[in-house]
Amino acid sequence: MAQTEALDDPALRARFERDVLPLLPSLYGAALRYTRNPSDAEDLVQDAVLRAYRGFASFREGTNLKAWLYRILTNSYISTYRKKQREPKTVEGPDDIDEWYLFDRLGARNVEGSAEEEVLDRIPDADVKAALESLPENFRMPVLLADVEGFSYKEIAEIMDTPIGTVMSRLHRGRKALEKALWQTAKERGLVDE
Amino acid sequence: MSECGPHCEETLREVERYLDGELDPRQAELIAHHLSDCNPCMGRADFRRHLKELVHDRCAERDAPAALVARISALLHETATDP
Repeated sequence: MAQTEALDDPALRARFERDVLPLLPSLYGAALRYTRNPSDAEDLVQDAVLRAYRGFASFREGTNLKAWLYRILTNSYISTYRKKQREPKTVEGPDDIDEWYLFDRLGARNVEGSAEEEVLDRIPDADVKAALESLPENFRMPVLLADVEGFSYKEIAEIMDTPIGTVMSRLHRGRKALEKALWQTAKERGLVDE
Repeated sequence: MSECGPHCEETLREVERYLDGELDPRQAELIAHHLSDCNPCMGRADFRRHLKELVHDRCAERDAPAALVARISALLHETATDP
């Protein structure tokens, strides 16, 4: 990796620290969901932040810093870390999943007296993370960027360098795949009757 | 969706973009209006909203590892003091 170069302007460097360092937790969270591995996630964040640092002079204040950083993080992941990763095998395409997969199943086979939402709430955090991480990357990224990070479709399209229509389609299919993974988890945890 | 007419179909087709805040205000208003009048659609919309919030709350990390933060800070300062 190239050495970092000092930003000539101390004010710019101070602004980088002020604006970028507070975003480290969310960048790290995204990196974890991308790489599914804490050590790779740390390397990825460090790599992305240093790339951002080197490019910060060309970043225009007032434009979307968080989206810019996520774009760098995502590019770093794709160019460097993805090669090392083994993708989870896709058992079936999310296209085969019903439109209201989880709602209909929870509604039909619910634990007596509890609302659909309550079943979801009983799924442990680690299992929700695992469900998200089980999605193929093309679906995992838009779901993460939309639902965890709160980016708009347009921002996600920029971050992933993908047309907005593709983002919407992958987001939709990714969410369905996530519903299926959560249903699987709920069954395995005995939260719903088989 | 037995009680669903054309409005329900359209609402449920658009509810994802509605919850993502991606509809223009006029479309969003129509969806909101339908939801307020239609319990089955509202139930589905509420479920999806809840699921979205669940993913948001459970999949975010509150902290970056202290060692990582320290390493990045050190790298930035190193380059700052060592041109």
